[in-house]
Amino acid sequence: MKMIEKKQKRFLVVSLLIPVILLLIFVVYPAINLIQTSFLEWDGISQVKEYVGIQNYINMFTNSPNLWLSLRNNGLYLVFHMIMIPIELSIAVMLNSKMKGRGIVKSIIFLPFVISGVGISYAFAYFFSPVNGAFNEILNVCNLDTFIRNWLSDPKIVNFTLIFVSIWRFSGYHVILFISGLKSVSPELLEAAEIDGANSLQRLRAIQLPSMALVMDFVLFDCIRGTLQHFEIPFVMTQGGPGYASSTFTLYTIDTAFKFNDFGMASTMAVAIMIMVMMIYLIKNMIPKLLKKR
Amino acid sequence: MKKVFMQGLKYVISILIILVIIGPLLVVLFTSFKTKEHMVTVSPLLLPDFSEITLENYRDVFSSKYLLSAFKNTAFIVLVSLFFNIIFGSITAYALERFHFKLKRIIVALFFLGMMIPTFVMEISRFKVIGSLGLYNTLGAPIIIYIASDLMQLYIYRQFIKGIPIELDESALLDGCGYYRIFSKIIFPLLAPATATLVIIKSVNIINDMYIPYLYMPSTRLKTLSTFLMSYASAQQGSWQILAAAIVVVMIPTLSIYIFFQKYIFEGVSAGAVKS
Repeated sequence: MKMIEKKQKRFLVVSLLIPVILLLIFVVYPAINLIQTSFLEWDGISQVKEYVGIQNYINMFTNSPNLWLSLRNNGLYLVFHMIMIPIELSIAVMLNSKMKGRGIVKSIIFLPFVISGVGISYAFAYFFSPVNGAFNEILNVCNLDTFIRNWLSDPKIVNFTLIFVSIWRFSGYHVILFISGLKSVSPELLEAAEIDGANSLQRLRAIQLPSMALVMDFVLFDCIRGTLQHFEIPFVMTQGGPGYASSTFTLYTIDTAFKFNDFGMASTMAVAIMIMVMMIYLIKNMIPKLLKKR
Repeated sequence: MKKVFMQGLKYVISILIILVIIGPLLVVLFTSFKTKEHMVTVSPLLLPDFSEITLENYRDVFSSKYLLSAFKNTAFIVLVSLFFNIIFGSITAYALERFHFKLKRIIVALFFLGMMIPTFVMEISRFKVIGSLGLYNTLGAPIIIYIASDLMQLYIYRQFIKGIPIELDESALLDGCGYYRIFSKIIFPLLAPATATLVIIKSVNIINDMYIPYLYMPSTRLKTLSTFLMSYASAQQGSWQILAAAIVVVMIPTLSIYIFFQKYIFEGVSAGAVKS
């Protein structure tokens, strides 16, 4: 038995050593380092690092209006993605029902999630461009030319344009998740309900939705986490502009570090995002427990 | 009657969805076949006359010196990161799922933390680590970051290993098989479906990733498809017809992966969300 134990130990060390070391160097250490740097004033290059206590945190709350403007934009994304959830669910129910050609619709609906995000961003920059833009042309053709706007340079509109692109890219992903959730419901249960005379809406409410709690949970979490970290589309399409009108929390944090060379402040913001994600995760895991207690 | 109406409604909705999704992509495709003059004379929603269609824009894109190296760099990064991701991922998942040892809880917690940590902002402090290891502006930077921090494979492999009966390991052990052999000859082959899913979905993710290559490999020789498109776009400012051709070219690799391996992609994305 001793022999086996020794062999087992050796196997574990050999197999886990490299992955754990990589994790420590490239994930754990940087995370700890972010927390340390959040208490410093540092430009990222010089040797001089000044310890400033919680000054960065105070500045973040009291003296960073653009950061909060950016976070409000994240909130806008979240609201619209939430509004989309019932619609996505309805589409999933539709595509899960008997229907010719649903395979093709399913494939097309998921397409935006798979193709290059940079490509999509430029495609929509062109689609909404003020010169020869396809969207303004569509309005033109439909005699709606009074609605023509500067979709990407008007600070009041730009976020909604980007939210449209975000929904275009990510909604299909949720539809596919909902479909696989609907498929995981046991067919016997559905059949039994059908024999008992439940119509399709009743079946959806009484059987399919409850057993989809897990998928719903995942989609909600993905929405919150995804919108909180939303970055790529505004980064490529508008760089957060005009001004900071279409910035997001992550975009502003990245700019603070790599554009303004304020690594202390940027780390503070990064810690804030980490805390927000962790909190959302904790709340998400607590809600079902609280509900069960009742 | 009601049934017919419902069926009709479904088709109307489906066609609307397809239009919204394909429309903007078609506009790009049409534009990529236009000349500079067409951009003014032909509606953005239409193709020019068939006889006037030009492939000049594509010739322009393919004549760019850096497109070929972007394809090569992307392929190299995908192959190397995937190779190590699969090996490390499967063996780590096996070790953590099948054995009990002292540090297990801590290691599991660390990996979990790694999966939770927000992407993008992490680069603020990872940037220095990469720099001090001399990996800045090398293909090694994205490769090592993908290997170390892209951890979805652990989750999928652990799910899968749970489903393999432990008696299989035990009887092999009794037959005098070592752990390495058990893993490589019995467990790893059984993980093939999970591996296939992971290979497909991670390739797509890595090919489409923009920020890590953008941040760590500014050199023109080290462009990936995504960053090639970005620098091409800033060079072609305003010439949408040429940029459109570049967009189409850059979308082709993941699009073809999607067309051929759709099943794996659907499985991969829903692995985390359904049944656990």
